Amino acid sequence: MSQFDQDTSPEALRVAVLSWLDTHWDGENRRPLTEPAYDRRHWRQQVLAAGLAVPSWPPEWFGLGMTSAQCKVIEKAFAERNAPGTGLDRYHLGAITVFKAGSDALKREMLPELLTGPICCLLYSEPNAGSDLAGIRTRAEQDGDQYVINGQKVWTSNAREADYGMLLARTDWDAPKHRGITFFLFPMRQAGVEIRPINQITGESEFNEIFIENARVPERFIIGNLNEGWGSFQTAIAYERLIMGQGITGRRRNSPTRSRPPLLELAEKTHKLSDPVVRQRLAQALAYREVNSLNNERAMTEMMTKGSMSLMSLSKLAMSRIQHGEAAIATDLLGPEALLDGPDNSDAANTNFDAAKAYMNSIGGGTDQIQRNIIAEKVLGLPKEHEPDKGIAFREVKSGTGPRTAG
Amino acid sequence: MADMGLLGIVISETCGGIGGSDIDAAVVAEELGRSLLPVPFIETCVMVPSLLESGDITEETQDILSAIVRGTATIAIGGNTALAPYRDPNSTLKLNSDGSVSGEVSLVMHGAHADFLLLTFGSDAQTRCVLVSSDSGYDVDKQTANDPALRPATIKLNNTPCTALTGLRKDDLERARLRGVAALSALQAGAARAIFEITIDYLKTRYQFGRPIGSFQALKHIAADLFLEVESATSAAHAAANALASADPLAAKSVALAGFICNDAFRDVSAQAIQLHGGIAYTREHVAHLYWRRARATLSMLGDSDTHRETYLGAWETAA
Repeated sequence: MSQFDQDTSPEALRVAVLSWLDTHWDGENRRPLTEPAYDRRHWRQQVLAAGLAVPSWPPEWFGLGMTSAQCKVIEKAFAERNAPGTGLDRYHLGAITVFKAGSDALKREMLPELLTGPICCLLYSEPNAGSDLAGIRTRAEQDGDQYVINGQKVWTSNAREADYGMLLARTDWDAPKHRGITFFLFPMRQAGVEIRPINQITGESEFNEIFIENARVPERFIIGNLNEGWGSFQTAIAYERLIMGQGITGRRRNSPTRSRPPLLELAEKTHKLSDPVVRQRLAQALAYREVNSLNNERAMTEMMTKGSMSLMSLSKLAMSRIQHGEAAIATDLLGPEALLDGPDNSDAANTNFDAAKAYMNSIGGGTDQIQRNIIAEKVLGLPKEHEPDKGIAFREVKSGTGPRTAG
Repeated sequence: MADMGLLGIVISETCGGIGGSDIDAAVVAEELGRSLLPVPFIETCVMVPSLLESGDITEETQDILSAIVRGTATIAIGGNTALAPYRDPNSTLKLNSDGSVSGEVSLVMHGAHADFLLLTFGSDAQTRCVLVSSDSGYDVDKQTANDPALRPATIKLNNTPCTALTGLRKDDLERARLRGVAALSALQAGAARAIFEITIDYLKTRYQFGRPIGSFQALKHIAADLFLEVESATSAAHAAANALASADPLAAKSVALAGFICNDAFRDVSAQAIQLHGGIAYTREHVAHLYWRRARATLSMLGDSDTHRETYLGAWETAA
């Protein structure tokens, strides 16, 4: 039984959450009141038990059945007291996917675990299955009540830290390509899982390649049904794109709510703020950002009131235009200085970083071109392109195997 | 529209209107945009009421407001100031010592058939506004517009009697202009969405190479990009109306944003609509060119995109 009432007013809810925090959390020292040190798992267990980790989920599934507006009130109260642990229903991709697509048994077994400690990574893309993601060739073969996994994954962030991976693997090679895929909650810390970092054009190494050789996953860790993983996966990827479109990826140097946008500062610093051409470009860049925030607000409202996801799909595409566009303007503002880099040239280094990092948004999570296909087909209802592999058993399909040869 | 009370949508209840906000005006303007109805709604029902109700209320202004609500008074605006929907830099309007008005002004949209003219002249710093009844006697030369539904006119006045609007502060004039831009943005957002929907329907039903042309990525990708423009226009127009309705101190910034986002969206969506349709939209039988013409006609209405962008950036500079 929860002490937080769904029917309460926002102010009463805020007071209730603050008073709960005040009896459990020491905001000044950022640790639980009852404990000498901050134990992340134990704190998360307390938040979960109070229903505050995933407040939008129903009471029978660890939540409070709160509306999105009420969740915001809760998040604000947590922020007021410097407390972590709420809002997992918005950004814990692993838990969200299990909650939306998993069986009741899996939810009962794994959600309390996922919501209190483990980190999840995403095992989707493969070297030969990028835009053509349904062309994956990592195989999962049944062995008693387990599946044996063999294959290679790529573009996995947090792989080293992760306890579980959301794994797409092929379980039926005779079905058409979208229908023989199963979605697993795959334990990462086991023999047969080798992780190698990728050196990215930004100089970072947040992504990894994963080599999987005879690793194992229990049958009960299938998310959804056998061979129906593509559908469950759609839930996960939709959230990932949504998070990207809110501009959470990359450095948030240009937030529209900040009073002085960095591009304006750079224009001032480079003595170009009075150039009318520069001013037009700056205005357009700031506008794209503000309009994307406005679109996102409408998207949230539409999703809550009508359950419509159509506006949601736009923000990641819009973010590509914003990030590439701003990097281009900054490069022009710097002029020849942009050829420099390194800690002695921080403006140039930041600009060069942003210019490279923009591809993270326009390629990652589905390229802009794939995203345009999705918007056109799923939202606008335009017909699908000719699909040469439609209805053909996957083992007969040529995917990512180089040019087709005659005969 | 008068029967539904829509003409008095922003006019106060004491003057016979509905007493609605800029959000309500935006809803009406969006629908007018969808249907391309060539009426002086923004001038008659948004800008002029805003001016009349913020200045000194007289018996005459009361009568005009009631006539607007009843649908018996349409009002066109002309002049060389920022208040004129189509600014005529060559306007020679001047006030005579006896209080009458003389001079010539062009680009007065709907001027030939309006029951009243609101003439605005002087400088942006010191703007004068006078009302002229069509009964007072002036000459009208109709001008030819690229959009066949629009009827601009040159108005020639010679010692024509007029009523000067008094009690208007600079803020009142600016507010009337902002409300006009916000309504125009909503109109453009509605029009852009309408021609976008027409285009998407066509992409689904037109077959070439044995399949619907909407299945080709070359067209799909343009459609997805245009959808972003359409939604952005709606968002920007709504934000501007909301900002005005809630007396947001940054309303001028929101209005400037909507000003160029909606201008450019309507221009780009209607232009691409012709391209996406192909040959059929190169004919006069198809509606696409009407949206395209209206988009081009509204590009310079109440300020062009470059001006709005400059205003918007200026607001960022002073806000910080």
